[in-house]
Amino acid sequence: MNRHRTLAIAVLVGTLAVPVSVAAPASASGGGNATIKRGTCSGSAHWKLKGKPDNGRLEIEGEIDSNHNGQTWSWTMRHNGSVSARGTATTKGPSGSFSVTRRMVDLAGKDTIVFRAKNAGSGEVCRGVVSL
Amino acid sequence: MRAALRNPVVQFLALGAVTLAAILVGSGVLSSRAASTEAVSDARSTTELLGRSVAQPAIPRGLVDGDAGAVDRLDRSVLTRLLVGDVRRIKIWAGDGRIVYSDRTELIGEQFVLGDDELEILESGGSEADVSDLSKPENRFERGGGGLLEVYTRIESPEGEPLLFEAYYSAADIEARKVEVFRPFRRITLSALAVLVGVATPMLWVLTRRLTRAATERQRLLEAAVEASDAERRRIARDLHDGVVQDLAGTAFSVSALARVEGDPERRAALDRAAGSLRDGLRSLRSLLVEIHPPDLRAEGLRAALVDLTAPAQAAGIHAEVEVEGIEGVSAPTVALVWRVAQEAVRNAIRHAHASTLHVRVGRLGSRVVLEVVDDGVGFQPAETPATTSFGLRGLNGLVADSGGSIVVDSLPGQGTTVRMEVTVR
Repeated sequence: MNRHRTLAIAVLVGTLAVPVSVAAPASASGGGNATIKRGTCSGSAHWKLKGKPDNGRLEIEGEIDSNHNGQTWSWTMRHNGSVSARGTATTKGPSGSFSVTRRMVDLAGKDTIVFRAKNAGSGEVCRGVVSL
Repeated sequence: MRAALRNPVVQFLALGAVTLAAILVGSGVLSSRAASTEAVSDARSTTELLGRSVAQPAIPRGLVDGDAGAVDRLDRSVLTRLLVGDVRRIKIWAGDGRIVYSDRTELIGEQFVLGDDELEILESGGSEADVSDLSKPENRFERGGGGLLEVYTRIESPEGEPLLFEAYYSAADIEARKVEVFRPFRRITLSALAVLVGVATPMLWVLTRRLTRAATERQRLLEAAVEASDAERRRIARDLHDGVVQDLAGTAFSVSALARVEGDPERRAALDRAAGSLRDGLRSLRSLLVEIHPPDLRAEGLRAALVDLTAPAQAAGIHAEVEVEGIEGVSAPTVALVWRVAQEAVRNAIRHAHASTLHVRVGRLGSRVVLEVVDDGVGFQPAETPATTSFGLRGLNGLVADSGGSIVVDSLPGQGTTVRMEVTVR
């Protein structure tokens, strides 16, 4: 009984955790000064995270593309581990996506930005990281 | 030009212009200081308002600890509300000298030494304003952009930790603000002075016209009086000369003739004494005639007139000398003026000086005729002399001044007296 239960929990955790961790391989590309990371979420959605230095600030743009309109996602942007911005957004448009853009302070040293979004309905999780 | 400068209205306007300039400079300095204080006070008020009403309510928890998310949130929420108007730079300091926030993000997290004034504000509150020391490393981004005024005040983090909120203002903006404050004062001052000058000038002009008319009338009356006096003197002199003098001369001649033909020595001696007495009287009478009306008041005749004038001095045992040179071509009115002053001065010397010598010198000094009447008498203290005793010279002083000249009496007890008159040649 305990063994089955333990296995079930392991499967459940694996189901949830693996897609998050396998959001990578995320691809990175540079558009001018911008650093762009892309990856897949725990479900069928894709994420994109773009960071660009701008006059002492970082312009961070996080995008989720799920191909379904009307999905509500809660998202968070962390800067060096602390919450810089959070909110909810709904996928729209022909592509069924949403994007959020926030300006952050370009601090001394490396700035690590984590963009995390969770589908309120399906529980699908997306997580992207960009370092500038 | 000189006549214009004598005009009271011109003098008033000139003095007014000088006074106006002095008032403008003086009030400018004072107003500038007041405006500068006002401008700095404005900057302090702005800083306190920004610190307490904008920055403090927006400071998130964690900012003091350097939480990057907190820095981002503050930056996004208040930056545009802090960099308003003249504010050029914002810094928020922790008590340990760390910059926990600045619009210049490179400074965030850097630590510097806080000054005593800043620590005092952190501890006690209030606000302070100082000219920024741009050589300090925390101000390295401000170099090359002109002077700055930094104003700091105390605020608190949500955790209750005191923070120093510092706003920087461009000195040029402060100066512009100062000018903005100062300009209305200057306008008011200028307007008030302009109104004063505008009102006073016509009043003064009217007053001056009245005074000028009165002065002209007084001058006319004075000249008429002098003319009348001269005419009367001429008449008396003529009458004396044509009557009494001729009679006395004839009588003296007759008595002398009688003395020559008289055989009795005693009677002859008596007749000689009578003739001598008549001649003395005749001489005195001629001196008096010269005194009341000089026979020739032209330049060429001035020396003779002055010699006649000093004749009574000789009679009083005073050695008198007369020197006249360089006055050829001087007008008769000027010569008359010289003679009148000499007359008064010689008369005073004979009556009061108890002098043994008396020198009357008339010469020319450039465009001016100079008269000096010098005696070696007892002298006096001019400042202590009652007005009544020098009335004659005082009266003449007006005439001389009207001719553009001046009279100076130089005397001291025991050191004789010098009366010096200078008058422009006309």
